[in-house]
Amino acid sequence: MDDTLRQDIVVEAAGLEKRFGRATALAGLDLEVRRGEIHGFLGPNGAGKSTTIRVLLGLARASAGRVAVFDRDPWRDAVALHARIASVPGDVSLWPNLSGGEAIDLIGRLRGGDPRDHGERRARLIEVFQFDPTNKGRSYSKGNRQKVALIAAFATPADLYILDEPTSGLDPIMETVFDQEIRRVAGEGATVLLSSHILSAVEQLCDRVTIIRAGRTVETGTLAELRHLTRTEVSFADPGEGGATDAQLASITDAHDLHRAGGRIRFTVDSDAVSRLLPALAALEVRGLVVAPPSLEELFLRHYGEGS
Amino acid sequence: MLTVRTLLLSAIRRDRVTLAVWILGTALLALFAASAVGSTYGDEAERTGILRLAVDNPAILLLRGLPHGTSLPAFVFFQIFTWLALLAGLMSSFLAVRHTRAEEESGRAELVAATPAARTAPTVAALVHGVIADLVLGAAVTGALVAGGMPVPGSVASGCAVAAVGVAFLAVGLLAAQFARTSRGANTLGVAAVCAAFLLRGLGDALGSPEAGGAAMASSWPSWLSPIGWGQHVFAYTDDDLRPLLLCLALAAACIATVLVLQARRDSGASLLPARVGRATAPAWLRSSLALGWRLHWPTLVAWCAGGAAFGLFAGGLSSVVVQAADTDPDLAANLRTIVPSGGSVTQVLIAAMFALVGVIAAGSATQAVIRLRQEESHGTAELLLSTPLGRVRWLGGYLVLGALSIVLVLASGAAASAAAVLAGVLAGTDDPRHAADSLAAAAAQLPAALVYLSVLGLLFVLLPAATAALGWALLGAGVFLGVFGGLLGIPQWARDLSPFTHTPVAAGAGTDLGGAGWMVLLAAAAASAALVLMRRRELR
Repeated sequence: MDDTLRQDIVVEAAGLEKRFGRATALAGLDLEVRRGEIHGFLGPNGAGKSTTIRVLLGLARASAGRVAVFDRDPWRDAVALHARIASVPGDVSLWPNLSGGEAIDLIGRLRGGDPRDHGERRARLIEVFQFDPTNKGRSYSKGNRQKVALIAAFATPADLYILDEPTSGLDPIMETVFDQEIRRVAGEGATVLLSSHILSAVEQLCDRVTIIRAGRTVETGTLAELRHLTRTEVSFADPGEGGATDAQLASITDAHDLHRAGGRIRFTVDSDAVSRLLPALAALEVRGLVVAPPSLEELFLRHYGEGS
Repeated sequence: MLTVRTLLLSAIRRDRVTLAVWILGTALLALFAASAVGSTYGDEAERTGILRLAVDNPAILLLRGLPHGTSLPAFVFFQIFTWLALLAGLMSSFLAVRHTRAEEESGRAELVAATPAARTAPTVAALVHGVIADLVLGAAVTGALVAGGMPVPGSVASGCAVAAVGVAFLAVGLLAAQFARTSRGANTLGVAAVCAAFLLRGLGDALGSPEAGGAAMASSWPSWLSPIGWGQHVFAYTDDDLRPLLLCLALAAACIATVLVLQARRDSGASLLPARVGRATAPAWLRSSLALGWRLHWPTLVAWCAGGAAFGLFAGGLSSVVVQAADTDPDLAANLRTIVPSGGSVTQVLIAAMFALVGVIAAGSATQAVIRLRQEESHGTAELLLSTPLGRVRWLGGYLVLGALSIVLVLASGAAASAAAVLAGVLAGTDDPRHAADSLAAAAAQLPAALVYLSVLGLLFVLLPAATAALGWALLGAGVFLGVFGGLLGIPQWARDLSPFTHTPVAAGAGTDLGGAGWMVLLAAAAASAALVLMRRRELR
């Protein structure tokens, strides 16, 4: 790889391994995050997302493989790197007798930067996240603890944002606020690595995604490249041969993997073709229609099988 | 009624270990006091002497009780009752909060409230549970006193008094649970009430007036504001008058009536006092891991310092008293020398013996500081900190500084209290100002052993993080057992030498041996350096 290209890679992991005693958390993971992109880091629970992020933050040390953040070793140069990184841990815990506001200020001051800028950003974020900073840490719900970590992360500018399941516990309105903040920092040129176990949560936001399973990378690319993974599943109650003949069903364009089973008819369709499908479904007068984006778990079952 | 019974049985089952520890511990204290006093102060003239000294010395009255006759059992009651009552009060108040406010705070109470159980059922169950626990405690204390050779009727009266004080604070605890939003807040109110009762009684006794003969006292009015004071006025073994206990029961009845009225009217989880609101922004000084450690540690550090000051007060206030006693009692002087082997004067030995305990408290505060570091790691808050430009080594270093600061503050509190007590004695013409200097020297002498505890536990935190808390308290307990009480218990010298406290220097003028202190300072420095170096390679776990 030549130097100009390398400069554009913010996070690079190759053959990354991490073992805890005899348990293997990462078994040769590859990850490449380019400058300025929003990168989705996907995998089912227990796939190794949080372990990877802990390695990238220098909280855990890689057992084998190569890992670099801004071309530096995250374990050895953790402190220097952290001056450029904002992060949200997967499971946010707070100090029970510190208020949320105190926790945000403490993290902000440890991260450095201009106190006045921090104050202005903090005030705006507390407003948009509708957060009460005066409660004590022990009384916050999961969603509110998450807001503390998010406000602390966004209140000081960073070159790289490493966010582990950042929207867990947030309600849909707050998820929208979060999306706006991510777009804002990305618009200012920052790079974002965003882990999730829900594909739809990152679909709207991410330029590229990496999907991992059991400590290994199974897919990586732009969402267009992974379009085959994001087909929407459509199903409705089977009216029987009298209501919908096989020929009628076969005439539905765009439908893939069509089958009837368990009293329902199911097929998948490219997510951008759903609206073209509706006249055909209306003509069939379908009942009990369900149109669902695929969950990542279903994708894994479908594409990689159990235990593969 | 059926629901109360179900709740009661489940509460007893959940508490079986906790309550067994409280009850056995309190009974053992009673047994130990009864047998130890019998063997140390077997002589009536000796007891009369000590009681006369006590009547003259407010510090003894504050920490013991009200002298009421020179018989051996009456002396035992004077020595130990207030402490038994204090323990009964704490046990009962914690029990009350554990089964009411803590349940509401955690949300478990909603599970119960959604069943056909009445709104007051959990409170009634906690009340019955607590009364049973207090009765068992009273019976255990009675049994322990009888086993220690005390007469049966007075022991029964003592047991009744302990149980009645327990019931009073059970009700106070239930009331506190109505006020505070969190169990922590309710426990703070409960502990404050118990401590206030202890102090009020101490104050009333210290301000009391001596009765004819000089070996008995009548307390002044503040003692009559305190359930512990009421219990004490039973005067077991001399008067065996149970009437003051009616005051305990009346207080309990009043509290419980209030609780039932409040409980029936308020929402589940609500409280009379609003939840404490925190500050919206951090104070300007909260900007480093040391500052954060201080913010988290200082409330408990205040308690550690208060403990250090109490022992310091004792050391300074009692030195002249005990020196007079030791002059007439060679056994007492010999006992003191088993704790602190030294060639110094009896006063220096006594001050050093008391400061050995201040040193233990200082080591305890440092142990807790390191354990707090581990809690930060295991609770996950360390991850928030170490994801900022704060290095692991700096993080550990901040807490080691915090531990050293705790040690110095605890020792300084002890030294200041001791010196103040000595100076008060000097003003009263009963003490020698040189003893104030002895107090400062004795406090400084505790520094090396406490630093060893701090840095060795810091090293263990780096190497064996999961075992930090268990090892910390176990090492401290073993060190106290071997180093402070080893001589008294006849432990062989080589085993006593394992404890840092054994090597604490004792001020003895020019002959003071500082060799052990020097080695301990070196060991502490080596362990702290090793911890900091190894922390560079340590992952967050």
